[in-house]
Amino acid sequence: MNVIIGLINGMIAAATPILLAALGGTLTYYAGIFNIAMEGMMLSGAFFAVLGSYYFHSWIVGILFGVLGAILIALIFIFFSISLKVDEFVTGVGLNLFAVGLTTYLLRQIFKVKGAFTNPGIVSIPKIHIPLIEDIPVLGKILSGQNLVVYIALIATIFITWLVFKSRFGLRLRAAGYNSTCLDTSGVSSNAIRFRSLILCGILCGFAGSFLSLGYVTLFTENMSAGRGWISLAAVILVSGNPVGIALVSLLFGFADGLGLFLQQSLPSQFTSMVPYVATLMALFVYSIRKKKKEAIS
Amino acid sequence: MKRNLFVNLAGILIAMLLGAIVMLIQGYNPVETYSALFGYSLANFYSFSTTLRNAVPLILTGLSASVAFASGPVNLGQPGQLLIGAIFCVIGGLYVDLPPYLMIPFLLLLSMIGGAVWSGIAALLKKFFRMDEFITTLMLNMIADYLTYWAITYPLFEPRANHPQTPLITKNGFMPKWGNFNTNVIVMLIVFFVIWFILNRTTAGYEWRISGKNSLFARIGGVKIEKNYLAVMLLTGALAGLAGGLVIMSGPHRFIKGLGANYAWDGIMIAMVANNGIPATLLYGLFFSILQTGSLGMELITAVPSELITVLQAVIVLVVVASRGYFELMIAKIATRRKLKDRDIYPQLINENAIDREDANQ
Repeated sequence: MNVIIGLINGMIAAATPILLAALGGTLTYYAGIFNIAMEGMMLSGAFFAVLGSYYFHSWIVGILFGVLGAILIALIFIFFSISLKVDEFVTGVGLNLFAVGLTTYLLRQIFKVKGAFTNPGIVSIPKIHIPLIEDIPVLGKILSGQNLVVYIALIATIFITWLVFKSRFGLRLRAAGYNSTCLDTSGVSSNAIRFRSLILCGILCGFAGSFLSLGYVTLFTENMSAGRGWISLAAVILVSGNPVGIALVSLLFGFADGLGLFLQQSLPSQFTSMVPYVATLMALFVYSIRKKKKEAIS
Repeated sequence: MKRNLFVNLAGILIAMLLGAIVMLIQGYNPVETYSALFGYSLANFYSFSTTLRNAVPLILTGLSASVAFASGPVNLGQPGQLLIGAIFCVIGGLYVDLPPYLMIPFLLLLSMIGGAVWSGIAALLKKFFRMDEFITTLMLNMIADYLTYWAITYPLFEPRANHPQTPLITKNGFMPKWGNFNTNVIVMLIVFFVIWFILNRTTAGYEWRISGKNSLFARIGGVKIEKNYLAVMLLTGALAGLAGGLVIMSGPHRFIKGLGANYAWDGIMIAMVANNGIPATLLYGLFFSILQTGSLGMELITAVPSELITVLQAVIVLVVVASRGYFELMIAKIATRRKLKDRDIYPQLINENAIDREDANQ
């Protein structure tokens, strides 16, 4: 029983950063931006979260710094792709590498280390114990005692669903992606909508990054986002941006990640580390088969 | 051409000025730092030949990305293809022994096959299941990373080593050196001319280029898009694989963990900043190599961490691409203005947005 609870908790923890980044990706997806800078935003968020937490001995400042770090990348993205009209793909790839360079450089300049920084002074984000639910026999261990960011991700999923499909901003957001000229002529600047969607994406990726470096583990390593931004992009594409679908897909990836750890007893760790990426390929495979069938019917 | 050169130089200059500002803020002397950087990579024959050697994988992966992007497929799999090419080369070098004049071509071919196999997987996934190569190549990068890590930890592990690496490949497979000049540069130059020739002087290259520019036009014109797609993916994979093979044969002569971690992404950046041009890829590859090779000297002499160069590279790419777009916009504006003046038409009747109002009043 404990193994299964451990597996489920591992799955939730692994799913959280992907879910948060993918929710950010959804917003830009609907706004019609080919945003591949989530990886860079997450990495920058992870670094600055450690920075804030270490210097101010507070996880709240850590998250704040993490969010600001991710917004920094989002702002550069906005500057290049919206103001200067640089190709979004080029901007995204450039910024991802910029984030890798920036964090490694700052890691070396500020903390005087190469590779990884870990210190007892870094305060991690606490786990939340919910009084009554905690006492439910099996479910209690899953529903309660998760990291704060896990609950934030849950709320964010609901909020983003509402924001995209029920709010005025969401209508404009979808219009910006669907037909931006139409939106512009109706008096709403589609660039302003895109600007906001990217900032929101930055905030969500900042939470994802903070969770990576202050929740999942309490340290920063070079390039620690390790392709999670790309996986979240795949998740967005898979479900065509539906937030609830993204939550389910993220859990699937989380499951693959947890499964990898579980399999470590019988397989070399290099193979188990591959599992999330193979799972992404499998998911894309299933998606394309389904799409083919649908097209055959219609 | 002249205009292009100007834009690129201006972009690089702006990026380096930004770098200088960062250095000033941190209390380093920018002039000293830059002179240490370029001095270390260009000062004499010895250092320049090191720079050339280091440029080879950058240029080859850059060519791979340039050819792919110019022809349509978004092959972002250079990092993975490089690793698989390198591991194929190492396997060949460990288990086969031939005289050098056979061994070197054999290993080069083997590493190209390795890269092509890896990009071929992505190409087949696209062909049969219409899976976007843009995501599949990225995932295959990660998988290749762990696969080669496993290969050098278990089956190909050198027993005496204390971290994952393979034994040395056979001596016959080393790229010959003249002094410090490594012959991998010659292989790269041959490949460069072959690629330039294919793209600019053959029917296939023409078809690839127009498919990249406008695939609908190409299809209507009778180009077999799918066949070309496969060819481009295999070719670009082979190029990245070759880069991996040459890294092994001219550098450490064995597969060490973390080998080529940066080369291939740099290749993608080089292709972007070179706007997929083949000669421009060569020049930018060389320039990036100057920066990277010099970064070590910079760190030794002025204590500026070499990681700054990674940041500088990304800034160069963004600034050059941005200024290119901006400059073209300006040129187009001026050209329209002139045209309108020649025709004696009031500009405000044509397009208010493109022309400033004060011009209209003239």
